[in-house]
Amino acid sequence: MYRVLVVSILVTGGVFLGLTLAIVLNKAWREGLCTWRRARRTVLEPAVLAYAHGDHASLLPALEGRVRRGDRRALEEVLLDHLERVRGIARERLGRALDELGYVDEYLAALRHHDWWRRADAAEKLGVAGAGRAVDALAAALHDEVHEVRLRAAKSLGTLGGVAAVLPLIGALSEPNRWSTIRVADVLTSLGPAVADEIMAAFPALNSNARIAAIDILASSRAMNAASWLRERLRDDEPDVRARACSALGAIDGPEAGSALQRALDDPQWCVRAMAARGLGRIRHEPAIPALCRALRDRRFWVRDNAARALRLMGDPGLGALSRMIGDHDGFAREQAVFMLEEAGVLDEAVDDIASLDGERQEAARTFLLRVLGVGKRSRVEDHAQRHPDPRVRTSLSALLASNAPRRESVAP
Amino acid sequence: MAEKSVLVAEDDPTTCRFVASLLDAKGYHVLTAEDGRHAYEIALHQHLDLIICDVVMPYRDGFDVLRAVRRDERLSRIPVVILSMRDREEDIVRGLEMGADDYVVKPFNARELVARVRKQLESSRREVGLTT
Repeated sequence: MYRVLVVSILVTGGVFLGLTLAIVLNKAWREGLCTWRRARRTVLEPAVLAYAHGDHASLLPALEGRVRRGDRRALEEVLLDHLERVRGIARERLGRALDELGYVDEYLAALRHHDWWRRADAAEKLGVAGAGRAVDALAAALHDEVHEVRLRAAKSLGTLGGVAAVLPLIGALSEPNRWSTIRVADVLTSLGPAVADEIMAAFPALNSNARIAAIDILASSRAMNAASWLRERLRDDEPDVRARACSALGAIDGPEAGSALQRALDDPQWCVRAMAARGLGRIRHEPAIPALCRALRDRRFWVRDNAARALRLMGDPGLGALSRMIGDHDGFAREQAVFMLEEAGVLDEAVDDIASLDGERQEAARTFLLRVLGVGKRSRVEDHAQRHPDPRVRTSLSALLASNAPRRESVAP
Repeated sequence: MAEKSVLVAEDDPTTCRFVASLLDAKGYHVLTAEDGRHAYEIALHQHLDLIICDVVMPYRDGFDVLRAVRRDERLSRIPVVILSMRDREEDIVRGLEMGADDYVVKPFNARELVARVRKQLESSRREVGLTT
């Protein structure tokens, strides 16, 4: 029994000792490798930089004609590090060196590796390397089973640019994963308005999520050449497409955007009307002021809210229209107008003017405040009547509130 | 013509080595600093013809260094080129309004950077020629 116990303790101790030794050795090996690689980088980097700044056709002569097997990873790190930091001819030369030394072929092979992280790493490095010949392989990687590989391939295609890279990216907008669609859309947006033609051509083949993302890309990249195409999208069967097109027209502006958005204010779907109102505000289309005033009576809150904000964005003409809407027959419109005038600071200005020495301003403020009180919006005025720093303002407001006290129903004795 | 001295203040060692080797290859005498405080100390104690300065750096950022250089009478005439990842309009405008002579966004074009450095050095030489 005693022997069994001693043996089991020795075995357990041996296992732990062995594991500790293995961990320490592994760590030491890794540290040693890093130190050695750093040292090799210091030796290799000047040759790489001299090549990048010079006009030699090949990096190999600077490396004495060959890359030692042990130096391949260190050299790759040097090339990739500098590639990420520069543009122009130096970048092209560094990318060419990566290709010449066989790294690009390695990455292309790694795109078919069974480990997903190797495929993802290869996809990313192909983009950093600017490997134009990798476009087809990266486009195929957009269909990889692993999300991360698809995203890195998309990012690399964005870096490579050009029509050949853009078309697969547009196709990838139809990704079932919404997050992926957003990331791919970001990549396409970063390419600017140059991709607008390809997006418009590919639009009919996209699924509904991708269509919305495609319109958002046109809006974010301010693709002016898409303005008339976007106006046509206002007749699309899908309400979401029409709504996004309104938003995009508001972002891009462009000819006839105002009148098209004004027509969209009559769309049967509230989401389209809301985005049309928002778009009209963004482009500050003053002829739409009467239509926006009508939109203040909409039964949907977002339409009213966006219409009120649009009027506010139009400055004095819009604020004047909101002010007139305080007396509207529609309760929703009155409520929204007062709310926006409060938010725009118009009510506070009137409060300050109520004790003005300028009789005309005082009278205008008084008329305005009476109209606000007339629709039952008393809380803000009451607040000022108690807290305003100017005692004359407090007195005038209190008198105004007293003269407009809400009627109480008489109680029978 | 005497060799021109350029200080590269950059906390990213890879970018710093790239810029230093680039300018060295074009015949400039290059000094480097890995943070803003070190950069300002070098500016105080060494003769410099131009400073290339990153914005985000430890201890003192690039705008702080720029402000200090412009306030110091001994250094205020040294052209400063900002080399930064910050590509927003407000950052570029801020840098130029604070007295930077040029603003280059990273990732940068190596040839363009050399051309801008050369132009700043020539403008500075012309100004010195006019005042003497």
